Parts: sequence; structure tokens; C-alpha cells
Amino acid sequence: MNPQSESSSDEFSGRLGLIFATIGAAIGTGNIWRFPRMVGANGGGSFLIPWLIFLFLWSIPLIIAEFALGKRSRVGTVGTFRIFAGKKFAWMGLWTAWISTAIGFYYAVVTGWCINYFQTAIRGGLGSEVDTTEVWNNFLQSPEQVIFFQAIAVLITMAAIWGGAKAIEKANVTLMVSLFILLFTALFLAFVMDFRDGSLDGFVYMFSIQPEYLLEPETWINGLSQSAWSCSAGMGMAITYSVYMRKDEDTTLNAATMCFANNSISIIAGLTVMMAVFSVADDPLGAVSGGSSAITFLVLPEVFAQAPGGPVVQLLMVTVFFLALSFAALTSMISTVELCVRNFVDHGYDRSKSVGLTTLAIFLFGLPSAMIWIKVDSSTGVAFPEFLEVQDHIWGYGLMFSGLFIAYTIWKYGWNRYQNWRVENDIDEFDFRDYLDYGVSGFRDDFINTGDNDWWIGRWWDYIMYLGFPIMFSVLMLSYFTDLLANVDDPWNPANPHGISIILLFWGITATLFIGFNKFLVSRPLYRNVPEGAQVPIDMLPGGSDSLVLEVGDNPNHNVDSKNQKNIKQIDTIIDAEVA
Amino acid sequence: MDDKNLFQVNKNPIFRTRVPVLALLMPLFLSLFSPMAQFSVEVQAQENPAGVSPEDIWSQDYINQVFPWGQHGNPDLTQFRDYYDYFSMKERMQTLAAYYPEFLQFHEGLLGGVNARGVQMTLDDYKGWHYNHPSPWIKITGNVQGGDYNPFNDDDGNYADRPDVMLVGNHHAREWMSYEVPMFFLETVAHYYGKAGIDNDGDGLVDEDGWDGIDNDGDCLSLNSSNQDSNNDGNPCGPGDLGVDEDFSEQFITDMVNTREIYLIPMLNVDGNRYDREVFCGEEAYDGCDSNSPGWRKNLRDNTVTGFTPIPDTDEEVNDGCDGVDLNRNYQFEWGLLIGVTPVPGVCTFGDPDVAQTYPGPLDTVDNDGDGRVNEDHVDGVDDDGDGLVDEDWIGGNSEPETKFIQDLTEMNDDDGDGASDFKSTLSWHSYSELVLWPWGHCNDCVTTDDEYLVYHGNKMGEMTDYEPMQSSDLYATQGDFCDWHYGVHQSYCYTIEIGNNFHEQPEDIAHISVRNLGVPFYMLEIADDPRYRAIVGIENTTNSQYLEAPEDVTIPSSGEIPIGLCLDQTFPFTPDVNKTHLMWRFVEPTRQQDDFGPTEWVSVPWSRAQFNDTNQDCLLKDNSNGTRVEANIPIPDNLVGKIQYKAMLGTINGAFPFTYPTVEDGGNYYEIFLPYRANFGSAILSVLMFLIIASFVWGGLGFSLSQMFSEDEKVLGMPDSELED
Repeated sequence: MNPQSESSSDEFSGRLGLIFATIGAAIGTGNIWRFPRMVGANGGGSFLIPWLIFLFLWSIPLIIAEFALGKRSRVGTVGTFRIFAGKKFAWMGLWTAWISTAIGFYYAVVTGWCINYFQTAIRGGLGSEVDTTEVWNNFLQSPEQVIFFQAIAVLITMAAIWGGAKAIEKANVTLMVSLFILLFTALFLAFVMDFRDGSLDGFVYMFSIQPEYLLEPETWINGLSQSAWSCSAGMGMAITYSVYMRKDEDTTLNAATMCFANNSISIIAGLTVMMAVFSVADDPLGAVSGGSSAITFLVLPEVFAQAPGGPVVQLLMVTVFFLALSFAALTSMISTVELCVRNFVDHGYDRSKSVGLTTLAIFLFGLPSAMIWIKVDSSTGVAFPEFLEVQDHIWGYGLMFSGLFIAYTIWKYGWNRYQNWRVENDIDEFDFRDYLDYGVSGFRDDFINTGDNDWWIGRWWDYIMYLGFPIMFSVLMLSYFTDLLANVDDPWNPANPHGISIILLFWGITATLFIGFNKFLVSRPLYRNVPEGAQVPIDMLPGGSDSLVLEVGDNPNHNVDSKNQKNIKQIDTIIDAEVA
Repeated sequence: MDDKNLFQVNKNPIFRTRVPVLALLMPLFLSLFSPMAQFSVEVQAQENPAGVSPEDIWSQDYINQVFPWGQHGNPDLTQFRDYYDYFSMKERMQTLAAYYPEFLQFHEGLLGGVNARGVQMTLDDYKGWHYNHPSPWIKITGNVQGGDYNPFNDDDGNYADRPDVMLVGNHHAREWMSYEVPMFFLETVAHYYGKAGIDNDGDGLVDEDGWDGIDNDGDCLSLNSSNQDSNNDGNPCGPGDLGVDEDFSEQFITDMVNTREIYLIPMLNVDGNRYDREVFCGEEAYDGCDSNSPGWRKNLRDNTVTGFTPIPDTDEEVNDGCDGVDLNRNYQFEWGLLIGVTPVPGVCTFGDPDVAQTYPGPLDTVDNDGDGRVNEDHVDGVDDDGDGLVDEDWIGGNSEPETKFIQDLTEMNDDDGDGASDFKSTLSWHSYSELVLWPWGHCNDCVTTDDEYLVYHGNKMGEMTDYEPMQSSDLYATQGDFCDWHYGVHQSYCYTIEIGNNFHEQPEDIAHISVRNLGVPFYMLEIADDPRYRAIVGIENTTNSQYLEAPEDVTIPSSGEIPIGLCLDQTFPFTPDVNKTHLMWRFVEPTRQQDDFGPTEWVSVPWSRAQFNDTNQDCLLKDNSNGTRVEANIPIPDNLVGKIQYKAMLGTINGAFPFTYPTVEDGGNYYEIFLPYRANFGSAILSVLMFLIIASFVWGGLGFSLSQMFSEDEKVLGMPDSELED
């Protein structure tokens, strides 16, 4: 039986399906616990200004690029880079996939925590009489429990993506709609809580600008990093999901919708947390800004347990919150696994096998994060998973490189296009004006403003991708390493899991290995998921002449016009020579 | 087309299918294993069926005495599971000095020049007779690269206002613990300097049990009885047991290093030590040395066997009989006149091993003062010949490279130029017998003029270690030892510690014996500013009845500066000089870039000082007598959230500094107070306005883009007219 006989491509049922899937991927636990912490630590309303500005300067432009790439390449990250950046750069896609997967290893554990807290809450285990630190420490220090809930998170994810795009869509729509309802319920309860003491001080603080914070670079850097991570821009997730896009769909508004939706949820979750904490905590800002994500599991149950309206409302509040958190985590988990699976499927592997193997791998390689190096913080007595923290430390900023690679692809396309234009028009001299007109704007003209789009993207996008992006990338990296140098003891000691050497070591090893494996990657046939009737030619792309790039259902031995290929190859050689 | 067909194009399907998988997995494997390097010690959980077990309260590292340092070195040595030898010890000292150049400086011997006695010295004069190594030592003080340079000793970091402390190990070659304990002290200082608030035992409390020999926090006492005597010395929850003095104040260590100059000489007798390890006993001396001898004691001066005055003869092999000088009998004070056995001074009595073991060195034959007479004024603090000069022509002593090194290091280190030694307190480590000894050693039934104070400090250190404190001569009389010389000639409070129960302890005992002895050198540092005054206030309990306002007693005003009170004894002679007497405080807030999953990370900031002002208010001292309340104000903006850490430093008008509050008994570190947000949260109207702006951007943007997406019109948002015409 031929698996491709029913339909040669796998696609979402409609535009809304894609939107829900991408929103699900973007909205994660970061919206719910990282955002309020950032608001608290960076001067309330002062933080919202950079956060909003960088939504337009970083997240939306990058997501637009991702959608455009995936829509044309019709393959996952590895294939997209192989096609768009050329055969030598398939490893960039592998890097992108790896970062997402490596984050997935421990994110499954974190998702498991959320699920556990939901089930503890619903069983009444997070009432006002419990010591939340004890609950947390007991849970984290019993590996069998952590692993059990990690396994559940992985199984749910596996079930959700087993059936391909349609299943992913269904899971995301269900989870997202529930998440919206749950969050609004929690928001209402928190509003009542905060209003009861006579002043909406949580609300007031969150939306009050403290001007001195706007003068501090940290506020802006945190606004940028929150915006970058929260929308999952650069993660390759939008590339992956746009593979399942139906033909002739618009991508630009999708990017805007997805990022706006993400930030909308941040505001709702942020308000919920701020109002709830401010209404009951003695030192609300200390509670909300003082530290890591584990605070969510310590402070919030305590806060919700004091909600007005008696035990039923309290139970409702804490249950609703952790269910929402679990859903947010699960949808992100789904995109993470799918990103990895898509790359296997692209290279001709059976989907079921890929899903099974990827989820198994995510479970197995998440085990160390679940069970080893569970330490207790000396000053607070709160347990924390140090191995997990180290993984986050190493791979979290690797995401920035994925974004850089996407920008690089666009730069390269622009340069190639300008070179082709020179060949076509027989121009020898380099002219900057021509480069701007025929090179820099090339990607935008060819792949974004395709005529199907509802939103015409102007030259501003070029400025951001060519100038703004490298600047923002450098500032983020510099500030990260400066912070490490200033606040970490012994940062250059390679045995220090929180140091700089270990990050550079792992990045270096990973990049070197991937570059080494590049030629094996490109020796495999690549199957593009092209919907029926779609016009997605790739022959103008650096990797477009690759005879091993096929469409789903193609036989690698046929379907390649050898004469045509020869011509393309000549151009390709010219291009490669120019680039080199 | 069948799925399998896809693979037919591959000439080598197995190879091709595995490579990308491996590519994905390789970094992970690496990420799993590499950071484990620091956890080289396999942790073995003990099983305790009932009661509180160590695992219930402490970290695995603490239970297994895995020390937080030495990731780069040989773990057996840096973790004190095996003995250093001279070479590895020196290398470790150099490594640490290179790693912490701001407060450690490594040296070997002294550079030389004309010494305090007018003799021209060179580095060679400080090298051992046989193996020719000068004794390695480390100078420890805050900003050791700064201060004055001493051209004779060749060291930096000499400060006139910092008292000096000399800590010497291994006078006697076979007493191996006497250089391991100094190395343990060195590692502790190196690791903890500049740090504060560390939970050393992983029980969630910070600095709850400092060095006093008592289980202050009761964690050892809470164990089931089978675990209470972890060092198997028969004394449950005594010094050296897990849970006793395990969580000392790192801030105290930092304060001590910043206010003292420490001269640490872990292995004075390098010659003898090498001989003991390499020839006489061997590497594993702890499994039994020579059946006739427990080990090599002296240095390696090459004496002839029977000669009246032994003549150095460095070509000869070491002779086990009379070769060598007992360095701890070679100091000049009351040198040579052994009580009881009374041999002729300067003669090694061959054949009597006990006497040969304590051979104090040759007779001096030099007219030291050039007055034409020889040895007419013995070093004893008395003008024996009535010529107005004291102790100017000695009979013998300080004849060895090692003792000359101690002599010149002491006498050429006069930072404040007052002509007297700067070493106010000195410590000499020996083994064994579990004793704390103080002068005198040279006479029976005699006491020093400082006896009351020497006894006070000696008893303190005895409590700290559970070692028996006594005057040196009460054990047996010793002439020419380090402490008699330091006290007798240089008025330094000098103590000898007899560590442990063996010359060569078993390797598994090194760590817990070192732990048991760790408080002593720090005590010597603390009293070095004015040992006599420290004893006086200690005896009168003055300083312990004074206190700094604890966090629970501090009232944080709703805005403005935060006042912190200090209750002082009216008789306590504190100086108003702000450089000495002040409140140290700092504001600590969480870093802005937190790791998402780790514990809260705090910004580390330097300390600030605030002056104490008289309030004319009385306060009740801890002994319920009336005291004077002084107050310092911490200036801090209202809109900051975080922690304030504070402690008081006091100096006295007679120069003792610092007395710190909270005291070691109080926890010793600093107090910490949580500072809530005190400013207004903001204006309600403006915040609603801001909310509307943000909401209209984000939710409005979402609504608008959704409506555009599903609108039926063909309009393209933002497309310029020029594009439409194309």
C-alpha cells in the first residue's frame, strides 16, 4: 500500500489551523512565569515599552522570514537551509533542529512538573495549609515521580503529533481554546482578589512607568530577550509548520497574528500573576521578581490558596492556573517534537517511526535533567535541578544562532540574486545602488510579497534583517557574556557548569560535528511536501539545482531533466565561486 | 511507490540512516558526561534504618568530606585523602598563588641582604644542607601585590597597620600532619576569601556553626548515636566530627585576610621531610617505619659521629645516628642547656637515641658583638655581662638554614619601623599528643608575665580542638624551641599545637584531623591585633555582651534611611575613627538576567561604610547592664527591592581591630534584612492610560490582523500605489 496515494502532501485544514498551531508553539511557560518576573524586575510599565518595541523589531520580522522560507522550501529546517543557503549549509538547519530538540529534552521534564502540579492541585494538595517549599522539594527529590510525569508529557505529545498535520492542528486548537478560557477565568479571579483590598496595586504597578528604568540598558536587553524567546522567533518552528500550509496562503499576517496573540496571552497571564501576588504577599515585588521559574511552584500556590471565596474558589484558582500552564507547555512541546520529526520525514523516513524514535529519545535524554544533580539552594532551602539548569544555560542562547542563520540565509539569497542579475545584464562592476535594488530587497520581493499576501512588507523589513538584526544579536550575546563574567565565579573554568567555557565548548563541538556531517546530510534525497497545484519552484535558489531534492512521491532516479540540471549547475558554480 | 523504494538509491543504507541520528546524538552524549568531571567522587549512600541519618540533613559532599576546591589538582591530595610530598605541596602552593594573585603570593626562602644582626645573607643561606631547597612559604593578605615591598624578604603586601601572623608547620620531618593542616588552612582561605553566606554543609542554614568545638546548631546531636562520632575518637559530637564547627563564616575569613599579614610556612624542614619520605621511612610510612624509630625528626646537618663539635661534611651520606639538628631546639632563647639530661652543649651524644634526637646544634664560636669575648651574653632577656647590651653574644642556636630563615623573616619584617617584631601572634604545628602548648618551655615551675592571657587563649584553642591545653614545660622542658624564642625575644603570643595521635597518620584520617584543627590558625589571626587586649575583653566578657541590632529588631521606616543600632559597653574603648569603626552594608538584589531554572542569582556588590553616631540613648547589654546605643543610617532609595546585608566593625583606641558584629557566636557573618518596595506603586489614572495604550497595541493589533486575514476584500495592507501599478 502506498502511503502517499491518498494525498501526496500533508497539510493543515485551513488557515486557522496553522494559526493555532503556531500560536500554540509560541505560547509556552515563558509567557506565564517568565513574563511576570520580567515585569517585576524591570520596573513594571517601563518594561512593557521595550518589550513591545522589540516585538516589531525582532519577533515579527524573523517570523515573517521563517514563514516565507518554509512556505517555499516545503521542508523542515535541515532541508530549508539546504535549499536556501546551499548544499554547504544544511548543517545550519541541523543546528536549528538540534537546539530545539535539546531544549525539548528538558522541557519535557518541565512540562511534567506542570502536569504534576495540576494533578496535585486538583486532589487538594496545594491548599493554604501546605508548605509549598516542602511540596516542591519532595517532588523534585523523588526521581520516580518526576520521571513519571515527564513520561506522561512525552506520551501526550507523541499522541498529538502521531497523525501528522491534522492531528497537530486538532490538539492545538483544543489546547489553545481551553488555555484562553482557563486564563480568562484565572484573570477574573485574580482581579477580584486584587480589587478586594481596595486598590488594584498589581495592575497599577504593571502599567506604571518608572522613568529611571527606561534609562537602564538591562531593561532594554531584557525586553529584547523576552520578546525573542517568548515568540520562539528563530527556533525554526514557523518553518516547520508552514510546511503544512496549503497553497497560496498568506504568511505575513500570520506572523503578526501569532506574535500579537503571544503577547496578548503574556499580558493576561502577567496581570493574573501580578494581581494575585500583590493582593496577598507582604513583599509582592520581592516575591515576583526574586528569582527563577521555580518561584511559580512556590509562590503562586501559596497566593492562590488565599483567594477569596472559600476553599472551592481557591481550589478552582490553583487548578485552573496549573492546567493552563500544562497546556501552554504541551503545545510548545508538540512543536518541538514536530520540528525534529519533520526533518526525519523530509529525508524519507516513515513518520510513525520518526515520531516514536524522537519521543523516545526526548524521554531518554531528558532523564538526566529529571533525576541528577538535584541540589538544594543553600540560602533558601529550595531544591533545584542543576543538570536541567546547565542544559538551559548551554542551549538557551544557542537559539540566538538559529536566528542568525536565518538572517544569513536571507543575506545570502540577496547577494546571489544580485550576482545573477549582474550575469544576466552583463555588468561587471559592483554598484551599491544596484545591490540595494536587486539584491537586498530580493528575498522580500520573491518570497514575501508574492501577491498572495494580505500585508505588503516594505523596505523596513530589509533594514531590520540587514542592519537591526546583527546589532540586536551582538547586543544580546555581549550582554549575556558580560553578565556571566560579572556574576559567575570562575567563568573560564571548563568544569564550571555555569561558566562560559562550557558553553563555548558545547557550541563549538556541536557546530564542528554538524559541519562535519553536512556532506552526509546532503547526500540523502530530500522530499518536499508540496501541496497539489502549488507553484513553489526553487530553481532560483542556491540549493535549487540539487538533483536529490524531490517532491513527496517522486522517485529519486527519475524526474530530473539532466540537460536542465547541467545548465543550473553552471550558474550554481558561478554563484558559489562569487560567494566564496 | 513503496517506502522501501526510497532507500534503494542509497548504496549503503545502514550507514546513511545512522549518520544523521548519530549527528543528533553526539553532542548530547558529550553534554551528559563532560560536566561530571567535577563530581569525580562517587557518592555512597549509607543506610540508616531508623533515626536521623546524615543524608537527612547534609549534602552528600559534606558527608563524604568532599571539599569544594581542587578541581584542577590531584584530587587525592587536594581532597586530603593522601599526603602531599614536598614537590606536590610546593606545586599546589604555586598553583593557588597563581590562581588568587590578589591575596596570595608564593615565596621560597628569603632574598637576603644584610640582616638585623649585620650579617650578609643570600638565598643560599636558607637552603637545606642536603637537598638544597629553601622553605616554601605563602604570604596571605588582601591586595598582596600592593603595600610596601620588603627587599630582604622579597615580598609585597607589607602594611604598617596590619598585624603580622606567622604560622609554621613541620619543624620535625616525620610529623606529617603538621604540614597537611597548614595546607588545609591554605585551601580554606584560598577558596572562601571574598565569598560570604555559603552553606558549607548543605543543610539550608548559613554560618550557623563556627569554630568553638561545640555543635552550636545541634545537627550532630540530632543524629542517631551511631553517626555521632564520625572521626571515631570516642567523643561523640566533638571537634572533628561531622556537624561540629562545620559552617563557619566566610566573611570572617575575608575580614581576617584583609586586616592581617599572614606568613604561612607549611613545611619548614624540607630536607628532613624528603629524607623521611624518600629514604628513612618511605612513602607509606603510616604503615610502619623503621622498627627502631618512628621516623626522621631533625634536619639534615651532616655531623661527624663522635667529634666534639660536629663539622658539616656535606659529601657524606646521611648518618642515622647523629646527623641532623632538632630545629625546635635550635632557637637561641635559653639555647642548649637541657634540663634533666644535661649533656654538654653542642655535643651530639651518639648512642642515646633520645638525646641524639633532640641535638640542638653546634656551639657558637663567633664573637657576635666583636668585643673580644665569646658567648658572654646568652640569649635569655637578661644583660648577663652587665655591659648594657642584652643577649648580644649567644652561645649557640639559630645555626641552621631553617631557623635562620625564621629568624630573619621575623627580624627583617618591621613594617611600622618601631624596631620590634610585627609578629604579635605565632603558631607552630607539631604532632602528636593532642595538646595546645604555650611558653615557657625552658624552665620548670615558672610562668610568663602574660600567663593569665596565654592561658586564656590556650584554653580557647583547647576547647576548639578538644586538645589538652597546658604550659609547654608542664609536658616536659624544652630549650630553644620556636615559641620560647618568639615569646621570649619578640614578645609574640606563641602556641604549639600537637596534632593527632601519630607521627604518620593513616591517609583516611588526614581530612577529619585537618578539619578538627582548622579553627586554631583562624583564632591566631583574630587575636593578632592585640593578643593581650583580646584576652582581657575575653575574660571580662565585654565584647560578647555587646550586640548589633538583629534583623528582627530593625524597624524599616516607610521611606528614607534605615537606622541600625549597636549596643556598646560604656567602658569599651572604641575609636570614633570611621576607618576602624563603622557599619558595613550593601544592597543585594537579584540579577536582572536570571537562569530560568536555578536558584536566585544575586548581584554581588562591594560593601559600603556608614558611620556610627551617638544617640544618647541607653540600651540593655546582653549581660543586662546598661550600655550606650550608637546608630548608623543606611541610605537606600524607596523603590528598591532586595536584601540589605550589614555588620559592624569596631576598632579600639589601643589599636585592636576588628571586633565584628554579629560575633562568631552570633553566626559571625553578617545580618540580612529583606527590604520591601517602599515607594508608591504608581498612579492609578496613568496606569489605566498605559494599559489602554498597551492593550490597544497588542489586543488591537491581534484583532486587526485577524479581521484582515478573514476579510473578503482583495486589498493588500500597506502596499504602495506604485506597486499596484506594476
